[in-house]
Parts: sequence; structure tokens; C-alpha cells
Amino acid sequence: MAATLVGPGPYIYVCTRLRVRRAKLLPREEYMRMLNMSLSEITRSIEETEYKREIDELGTAFSGIDLIEIALSWNLAKEYQKILEITPGVLKEFTRAYLRRWDIQNVLTILRGKMQGSKPGKIKEILIPAGELDKTILDRLIAEESPEQVVEALKGQKLYPVLAREVPPALSSGSLSKLENELVKQFYAELILDVESGLKGGKAFMQYIKLDIDITNVKNIFRLRADRMSEDARELVIPGSTLGVEEFQRLISMEGKDEFIDSLKARFGASDLKELIETLRTKESIREIEIDLIRLQLQQMIKMAKLSPFSIHPILAYLESKKYEIFNLRALARGKQVNLPAERIKEYLVI
Amino acid sequence: MADVATAVVAGEMTVEMVQASQIGMKAMAAAIAVGSTGIASGIAETAIGSAAVGATAENKDVFGLVLLLTVIPETIVIFGLVVALLLLF
Repeated sequence: MAATLVGPGPYIYVCTRLRVRRAKLLPREEYMRMLNMSLSEITRSIEETEYKREIDELGTAFSGIDLIEIALSWNLAKEYQKILEITPGVLKEFTRAYLRRWDIQNVLTILRGKMQGSKPGKIKEILIPAGELDKTILDRLIAEESPEQVVEALKGQKLYPVLAREVPPALSSGSLSKLENELVKQFYAELILDVESGLKGGKAFMQYIKLDIDITNVKNIFRLRADRMSEDARELVIPGSTLGVEEFQRLISMEGKDEFIDSLKARFGASDLKELIETLRTKESIREIEIDLIRLQLQQMIKMAKLSPFSIHPILAYLESKKYEIFNLRALARGKQVNLPAERIKEYLVI
Repeated sequence: MADVATAVVAGEMTVEMVQASQIGMKAMAAAIAVGSTGIASGIAETAIGSAAVGATAENKDVFGLVLLLTVIPETIVIFGLVVALLLLF
């Protein structure tokens, strides 16, 4: 495909399409309206939007929260696959690399399901086949009996070396958090390697990777501080951007909050992240902090998409915005199902 | 023909030769005016056309508007054509 491209046309075409798609995502007012609806009203409401096909298809087999959950997952997977089909040349490589993070999520979901002895059908409902491991491979994995067999079935895949090394200790300890961390670290390391291989447009992709790593690291620091983690946290840092391993550990072990916020701010120069960190000084709720950070990441990605309109940025901005639309709708539906008040649900929405 | 060549080499040109040369130059200038503006319009329309098709693929309602935007660079070639016609007539 890359060899047959002539001129900038295909890039402009795809970037414009995705910009239009992003404009069609649910606006803030729509979420506000949905906050006052019941679960069935929300289902009906999203049936009138882009989710119509999935809701219609699944309407006979599922109902209530299951219907919404599965319809949203299906829609997201379909959307991501569709984007992979239309992106040209090097943008396809970058999009594919970005989507590999879903492989990590899917494999972890399958492993968790197998560890808890969940039924294959139940596991399948929550998978989002948007990455390199497509529906067929995932189906094969779900059909395996034990977590060890799932790992063996992944032989030859990029995730295999880390899985083979980390799954046995994870199974004996019963916690997959270290495995997840190692997979995420490997994912970012591979992304950086892909970009440094000299592909055209890699610089723009690198900007995104650095932003993503920064936000994830800052989120982790706040989370670990909230948990009063006293152990060594060096293994949890994702290398490749602003924060180094030692610095990460130092920030976590700092006693005073003001001192911590000042040190963190000093590391981020004159960026928007620095300004946001200042506003987090007074916030206590870790959830609010996380949502603020996610919101900043989305704003930054949209800004980058405006600055380089025909690069990977408009595509990534759409993919992330879509991910959080699904995230919001799921939070809304889940909240409504357990009768949470509208104000509580609103705190969980990224809008 | 040999006479013309001798005349040019000697620096002597007849009125007929000068007139013929002027007509040739005008024709060449007109060709450059239309040709180069045509290419320029093409380049400008590449980006607009791609974006227009992309936008229409997602939202059919904008077709009329983007069609109009796509043909705006045609004005460049019309300017070229006008200049060419002025040169020739």
C-alpha cells in the first residue's frame, strides 16, 4: 500500500474523516441529559446514535446492562478495525502499534477469567478484539483450559516472552499486577523502538508516546502516594520520557504534599501539565485527579492534532476520544444499574 | 531559408521576420499562462479534494458545500486563461 501512495491525498482524506468522526461523538450536553435517564432510556437514546447497528443486532440475545456493555465493546472493536482499514501507509503502522495495547488488555482479561474459572462465553463478552490478536486467535485462547495453556497458545506472538517469564510467578501469587506492568513497559519500549526505526512521521508519534508515558507515570505516582506505598516502586515506572526511575521513587517517598507537588511541577517545565499539577495541590480524591489528567491528555492530543493536521495526531485524538466515550457510557450504564445518584456518576465521566 | 539564416547571422531582420517572431512569443506566453495555472489549480485541488471526499464519506450533507470549496482554486486557471486570451487577441 505504501508504495502505491501518490502525494498527500490519502493522508488528508483519512485525517479529515477522523476529524469529522470526532466531531460526531456525543457532546457534553448529551451526557448531562443521560444522567437523568433510566437504563432503558439510555439504551434507547444511544440506539439513535452510532450504536444502532450493535444494539439492534444484540437486542434479541441480551438486555439491560449486558446489552449496553457488549454493544459498546463490539462498536469499539469494529470502529478500530475500520480505521485500520482506511489508514494509509505509515499511519497504518502507527495505528496498529497503538492498538496493540488492546492485546494486553484482552490477554489479561482471559488470564483473569481462567484463574477465576469463568465460562468462555462470559469472558468473550468483555473482550475488545481491536489489536493484533483478532477474534479467531482470541476464540482459540478462550477455549484453552488453564492460564498456562493460554500462554503456550500465544507462542510466536510479541507478548509471549514476557508472558512466559511473568505468568508462573503471577499465578502462584494470585496477582497479575506485576505481569500487567511488565507488559505495559514492553509495549511502550516497542513503540519507541518502532518510532526510532526511522519511519516518516515518527516524530509526531513520539510526541504522543511521551505525553502518554508522562500522564501514566504521573497518574501512577498519585495513585501510589494515595496508597502510601512504602515498598520499592522502581519497577512500576515506565521509562522513555520525562521522569526517570530514581526520580519516580523519590517523588513517591516524599513526605509533604506541597514539597511533592513543587518537585513534580519543576520537572515539567512550562507545559500545560505543570499548570494542571498546580491545580491538583488542593485535590484529595484520586479519582478526580485521574479524570483531570485524562482530560488534560485528551486536550493536549486535540491541540497536537490541530498543530499537525495531516499526521498521526488526528487519528490518535479520535481513537482516544472514542475510547473515553465508551468509557463514559459504560460508567453511566453501570452507575444507573446500581442506582447511584447522578452527581456521583458525573464524577466518573471524562467530559 | 538560407537567406533568413544569413540575415539573422548578419543581424539584419526583415519586418516579416520580426512580426512572425512576435506572434510565436505571444503564443508561447499564452501557453505558459494557461499551462502553469492549470498545474497550480491541480496542486491546490489535491488537498481540498481529498479532504472533501473524506468529509462527504462521513457526512453526506456537506457534499454541496465541499464541492464548492473544491472548485474555488479553478479561479487560478481562469485568470491564466484570461491572460492568455488578452495576449492572443
